[in-house]
Amino acid sequence: MRPFSYTRPSTISEAISLLESGGATIGESNGESDSIGARSDRGNLRGDDRPRLLAGGTDLLPLMKGDIAEPAHLIDIKRLPELDDTILMSPEGITIGALASLAKLEDDPLVCSMHPALAEAASLAATPQLRNMATIGGNLLQRPRCWYFRSDKVNCWLKGGEDCPARDGENQHHAIFSVSPCVAAHPSDLATALLALGASVEIQGPAGKRTLDLDDFFAPPTDERRLENVLEPTEVIVSITIPTASGAAQSAYLKAMDRKVWAFAQVAVGAMLVIQDQRITEARLVLGGVSPIPWRATDAEGLLTGAAPGRELFDQVAQVALQGAVPLSRNGYKVPLAKALITRALMAASTPKDVSA
Amino acid sequence: MLPFRISQQGSGEETTIEVSEEDRVQTWPEDARLTVVGHGHGRLEGNQKVTGRARYTYDVRLPGQLYAKVLRSPHPHARIERIDTTAAEQLPGVHAVLSSANAPGITWYENSSLFDTTVRMIGDEVAAVAAESEEIAEDALRLIDVTYTPLPFVVDLESALQPDAPKVWEGGNISQEPKVYDRGDADAGLRDADVVVDETFTTASVLHNSLEPHGCTASWEGEYLTLWNSTQSVFTIRQEVAEALDLPEHRVRVIKEHMGGGFGAKQIAWKQDVLAALLSRQAGRPVQLMLDREAENLVVGNRPSTRQRVRLGAKRDGTLTAISAELVQARGAYLTGGEASNVSGIYQTLYKCPNVHTDETTVYINAGPAVAFRAPGHVEAAFALEGAMDQLARALDIDPVELRRRNYAEIDQTEDKPYSLPEGLRLCYDRLTEAIGWDTYQRPEPTGPKRRGIGFAAHDWAAGSGHPPAYAWIELNGDGTADVVTGTQDIGTGTRTGLAQVAAEELGLPLDRIAFHLGDTATGPYSPVSSGSATQASMGPAIRAAALDVKEQLFRVASTVLEIPADRLSARDGKILVDGDMSRAVPIEDIMGQISPATLHGRGARGPNPSDLAIRTFGGQFIELEVDIETGEVTLHRIVSAHDIGRIVNPTVVDSQVIGGITQGIGFALTEGRVIDHRLGLVLNPDLEEYFVPTIADVPSIDHVHVNVPDVKANTTGAKGVGEPPLIPTAPAIANAIFDAVGIRIRSTPLSRDRILAGLATAAEAASQKPEVPA
Repeated sequence: MRPFSYTRPSTISEAISLLESGGATIGESNGESDSIGARSDRGNLRGDDRPRLLAGGTDLLPLMKGDIAEPAHLIDIKRLPELDDTILMSPEGITIGALASLAKLEDDPLVCSMHPALAEAASLAATPQLRNMATIGGNLLQRPRCWYFRSDKVNCWLKGGEDCPARDGENQHHAIFSVSPCVAAHPSDLATALLALGASVEIQGPAGKRTLDLDDFFAPPTDERRLENVLEPTEVIVSITIPTASGAAQSAYLKAMDRKVWAFAQVAVGAMLVIQDQRITEARLVLGGVSPIPWRATDAEGLLTGAAPGRELFDQVAQVALQGAVPLSRNGYKVPLAKALITRALMAASTPKDVSA
Repeated sequence: MLPFRISQQGSGEETTIEVSEEDRVQTWPEDARLTVVGHGHGRLEGNQKVTGRARYTYDVRLPGQLYAKVLRSPHPHARIERIDTTAAEQLPGVHAVLSSANAPGITWYENSSLFDTTVRMIGDEVAAVAAESEEIAEDALRLIDVTYTPLPFVVDLESALQPDAPKVWEGGNISQEPKVYDRGDADAGLRDADVVVDETFTTASVLHNSLEPHGCTASWEGEYLTLWNSTQSVFTIRQEVAEALDLPEHRVRVIKEHMGGGFGAKQIAWKQDVLAALLSRQAGRPVQLMLDREAENLVVGNRPSTRQRVRLGAKRDGTLTAISAELVQARGAYLTGGEASNVSGIYQTLYKCPNVHTDETTVYINAGPAVAFRAPGHVEAAFALEGAMDQLARALDIDPVELRRRNYAEIDQTEDKPYSLPEGLRLCYDRLTEAIGWDTYQRPEPTGPKRRGIGFAAHDWAAGSGHPPAYAWIELNGDGTADVVTGTQDIGTGTRTGLAQVAAEELGLPLDRIAFHLGDTATGPYSPVSSGSATQASMGPAIRAAALDVKEQLFRVASTVLEIPADRLSARDGKILVDGDMSRAVPIEDIMGQISPATLHGRGARGPNPSDLAIRTFGGQFIELEVDIETGEVTLHRIVSAHDIGRIVNPTVVDSQVIGGITQGIGFALTEGRVIDHRLGLVLNPDLEEYFVPTIADVPSIDHVHVNVPDVKANTTGAKGVGEPPLIPTAPAIANAIFDAVGIRIRSTPLSRDRILAGLATAAEAASQKPEVPA
């Protein structure tokens, strides 16, 4: 870890000013192009010392300790009065403060009853200790768990290097849908669930506030923006809103891991169905662990909409959802696994819940 | 005077002098009525541990203490052309810097040195810094300028065996003469067989991941060095560090109070132990050098990866005609001391078989050195042998337990010696089949995509016997309390408690009147390394002997005071009894009060193991599980475990060893494996995030069925060791249960979801390609 300074601003705009004063350029690419070997000899200086926001710190601090992130300043927003961890219901939907902890989400009665996929996703993430600290805002922004990205001895493409070593390397945890030079899988459980629930994110920056659908918030890393989302370095996530569905929506989140708990998803599935008169009127199906961003299975959703729910349909949907998958050398298992989880998640989301429970 | 015997044995040109003490103690008979031993008791130090007050090596804080960090090679193989530490030395707060430029030329591993100018693995030590904080030390490391010339490297076993493979050492990648063992004629045995199973298994390298990493704090007072060290052997550290620093042993004191696990990897001195001492001497201040998790997982040991081709030949009735195993293991870049993985052993001993061939090759690779890991060799080999036995049982259509009974070994066939408890393994079979209701066992029906299976595996283990030399002293104090002083160590297994129970039993004192001292070479007599499941069985008899010594003195005093012949006296529950009569009991403190402040001092030594018997530990496990045939997920339901470990001294502590061992076995079976990128030579999961040790949620209910038959021929306590055995059969039992559930045999660890899904897909394809019956 490198030395850093620590500030606790009292307003969001103060935090943004601090970000602006320390951050010179926009985007993650910093023009470094050292080869892997040369970098490791030099001690892997990342060279990006722009200030970073600190909330739960469950991702940022390990990145700093691992010499992957090297901010010279940390701006603590954990106790910013304007940000909060409240979960509020309005006619538009449920709005969740950016500082809401994962622990809070998994237990919140409103979330549990209306959006079980989100509660499930929160409860299946990390460990109770981490869920107590981690915030929903930070969770959406967490960097990939790719072991090449996380190694201080490898300057992978995502960190500014030339190549993605995972593409032809040890890629058992990596993407099966190729949309970027990077094949890391997006790590967030909540992102998969929230995208399935059609959530949007409210962002504040130097020019004021803007709202983005999560569909637009996540974007595969490119040469110019080696990052999994479009948040600018001077912006802050303020809240997340899950819209009220058009009818009686049901949702489910399933996750396969290397062990029973405390692992990132091998494959995860978030599914949301609105069923009226035995017909699916609205469907969203999102896969986690298969792409650098939460993967929306749009074709599969099209097949669902208007159809009558049932296992046969869901099996067919699962086939369609995985049609474009191109597994890497070691992650072919993700295809049958994703298919199985899709069918199960859709079965769960189409089974009426026991209201007495 | 301690009785001992020196015998000289002429053997060719060499003369060996064997010093062996004798036990003066009567062995506790099988049906001995013991009041402290055999009863469950929480750990004596439990309260200290759960309240965070127990002091571990990392907790040591001395006045002026510095913190050290090590610069490690980023290359799997390279020559260091130049190293410049000037800038690091000049950083404020830095007090000592060591590298090949200024360190003494201390030989390390075989032909390497403390700071070799050729590095052979990522993580090899290149320089070390001691500074006022860990952060300053880390900053200083970044200021060290090293020029490397990268060299070709090889990091996997199969590639290392190729004739044109890059050489880890100039002599080639075969690290030792292959170990070949032959009994009878295995080829002939295979020819004579009605059925032959021929299977190749591989096991992944796994990492110890002790919760407490390796490390130490070094402090000098003049020419005297004290090392607080997280170690399984304070005396080994003392000897090896003294030798490296060219110090007489009495100038080195090694202390270890509490420890967060070692699992075999902490039984030798590693470079950091000497580095801390050198840095401390250079700085003139105490230096603490603890490894971080990455270093822990790169350089201080692992269980070697193996490839094992196993051929079993059997007659129709199940009688084994041949066992043949061709074995390869990857030892890493260096050979280390301590126990090595003996992958051959179990093939030679577990089953009665006249024709056995094993051939074991060890290979260098440019990765961390292998070192003992809880039942080294047996864990790897049991996975293969017991998988092959399961396959054989199915090929012969014989019950898997019955097949093992039909090939029961009553003797150690490698030494032609009877086992000290020849029925030990049979008792395990009996208790296990009874506990699980094997005769009428019904596998639960499938529910949806979930398939249930049950698997069995047996094991022996070449250790658990304990051994001399080991010593103990006991001071019986004026108030009727006792200090038991040893030089052993509690590596987290409950040693303090189990051994204090032995002292309490023999002294006739309640446990709370015993203070048990260990873990300090300056205060306790020599005790051996805590490895090979040996500590209870090595130390227990020495402590009994010391206690008897003191008790005899006590009875002489009491005899004078009470005017009753000593041979009519006994001790129980803090009192001296006349003719065993509790109503005529005199408190021990009343007797001792007559001579206080004089104390009574007893000494004891561990006698030799019987020379005409082989002392082993045995056991087996049933494991019930469920496989989801759509997702490949394995869920363990129940594990039933039984082990012949002799007399169970403390069932509470023994159960926790069984649970801990099985948990480690579950990891070895299902989730753990070091992953190396072969192009970079880089370990990708030297952490606890991508290296998956089992969580509580991965561990099912574990029933430890107590066999608890004292091994009265083994030693005077009848107790053997339990630390290692429980882990040995877990992985094969799981693999066999998976086969039972879904009919696929996975021959490589870890038995991960991708392997299970691949196996299921292959099986489904094979089933679909069965030739159709012509119409």
